[in-house]
Amino acid sequence: MNPSTPVRDAAVTAGAAVRLAALRKAYGEVRAVDGIDLTIAPGEVVALLGPNGAGKSTTVDMILGLTEPDAGDVTVFGSSPAGAVRTGSIGAMLQGGALLDDATVGEMVAMVASLHRSPMPVREALARAGIEELANRRGNKLSGGQKQRARFAVALVSDPDLLLLDEPTAAMDVGSRREFWRSMQAFTDSGRTVVFATHYLEEAEEFADRVVLMRSGRIVADGSVAQVRALAGGRTLRAVVPGATDEAIANLPCVTEFRLRGEQIAVSSSDSDKTLHALLSAYPHAHDIEITAIGLEGAFLTLTSDEEEEPSADDRREEALKSTQRTRASWASSRTEERGK
Amino acid sequence: MSIKYLALEIRRVTRSPRFLIFTVGFPVLLFLLYVGIFAKDPGTKAVLMVSMTSFGAMAAALFTGTRVALERASGWQRQLRLTPLSGPGYLTAKAATGMTLALAPAILVPLVAVLGEGVSLDASGWVRATLGVWLAAIPFALIGLLIGQIGTADSTQPITQLVMLPMALLGGIFIPVTTMPDWLLKIAHVLPSYWMGEIGRGAITAGSASLGKDVLYLGIWTVVLGFAVVRRYRKDSARV
Repeated sequence: MNPSTPVRDAAVTAGAAVRLAALRKAYGEVRAVDGIDLTIAPGEVVALLGPNGAGKSTTVDMILGLTEPDAGDVTVFGSSPAGAVRTGSIGAMLQGGALLDDATVGEMVAMVASLHRSPMPVREALARAGIEELANRRGNKLSGGQKQRARFAVALVSDPDLLLLDEPTAAMDVGSRREFWRSMQAFTDSGRTVVFATHYLEEAEEFADRVVLMRSGRIVADGSVAQVRALAGGRTLRAVVPGATDEAIANLPCVTEFRLRGEQIAVSSSDSDKTLHALLSAYPHAHDIEITAIGLEGAFLTLTSDEEEEPSADDRREEALKSTQRTRASWASSRTEERGK
Repeated sequence: MSIKYLALEIRRVTRSPRFLIFTVGFPVLLFLLYVGIFAKDPGTKAVLMVSMTSFGAMAAALFTGTRVALERASGWQRQLRLTPLSGPGYLTAKAATGMTLALAPAILVPLVAVLGEGVSLDASGWVRATLGVWLAAIPFALIGLLIGQIGTADSTQPITQLVMLPMALLGGIFIPVTTMPDWLLKIAHVLPSYWMGEIGRGAITAGSASLGKDVLYLGIWTVVLGFAVVRRYRKDSARV
């Protein structure tokens, strides 16, 4: 069920790339990070997924040692973040600016390289980021995508074992986004650990081995991409079913959540084909059948939307919320079982 | 910190037109202008020379420090915190950059004075008028760093002017100390610019003026400002 768990458990003993234990950080009343436990094995490519304000950036900042946690521990390759920074084993692309207007790309990369003990050659960093031809261009003369690549080169030049990327493709168009991830892939193929925060689901799906979903400072889901896809693969089946009863609908195969209102049913199913076949053989007169996929986007939204929010009048949303909570609960229990073994 | 890093930092600053105008252009031009208007005797020329050298060194040191605000705003400072460069290392590098650039007026103004206006001093006088004035710029590099940490990218320029103008005026750099009323002189005596000027002016009345008091006052300023700068940096980086 959870193939990455053994890998991670092994990592705990072998020396994890990143280990967060009961991590907390509050800004005044706002609990930006509210108790996070996370172990990332060397070589993993992890997507930190969540809406704005979920605590992704604060988590990244604490891993980097830029922000001091209120409570809990951060370990990077067995040492403190500061220690990892000193040895150059951690590199990062920070959100926003982080470039100089009055220096060229080559100079900025060279500056950072000159501060590290064993950097890679500046040319190599530029080449890996795919911006050799921009070496002599000043920071203020770069496009959004070029800026991100320049930041990537700056992050790469210390030849880090762990790379943290905070919304790396935020200002990029689709083309440069592809291009960026292609350079990134070359880096991860060499066995380096990468943690990236994003709110682009497709990026997580395409490039991460593991997805960590965050909401309101907590981890709400953590699993392989396949698991997240399975989670998001549920469908909603609606139909008008004369003579339907609560019990009959609940006993249909693969139903995770349902609602019966008069003759109208709305069923969340993990396998809508099976549910539909069973429904039709039990109720041949069922009509106005409609099957909709929740989709990755919907799953992401429901998983990361505010739980305390009052259920809205919108049936579909309410259902989605419930089904998600249920799925989450069952997922969590299956994970605990896994851990127990 | 490495020589390579410092060299790149220095190159960045010299790209700024403001730097070239204020720290190289202004002091040399003003020196020539003042000499043309006022100076009849070599003594006055020498005073003008040390005044303009002080002004240039002060401006270079101040100006470089204030650029920290730009790096803070752009997030470059955060990026540097992900390198082995420590906080004190970063601040030292910035101060060192400012001091290196302050060498330009400390060399150029006396050079123009000697070659163009025939100013002459004895050996110890020259050491004071160049090396002495240059070293006296250290407190200004620290004031610049403080402004750069407190101000924003937009506000540092006016703040710098607000600090520099009274410093230059009361320090006797633009008006002779001897023309100041007593109460003003008392204020002037507190300022690092006054003691910077004293080091230079002492070069002309060769041998007679001792350096003890100048060094003491500038030393106190350096220590106090140094503490303030480091404290402010710690506070700042804890918050970001």
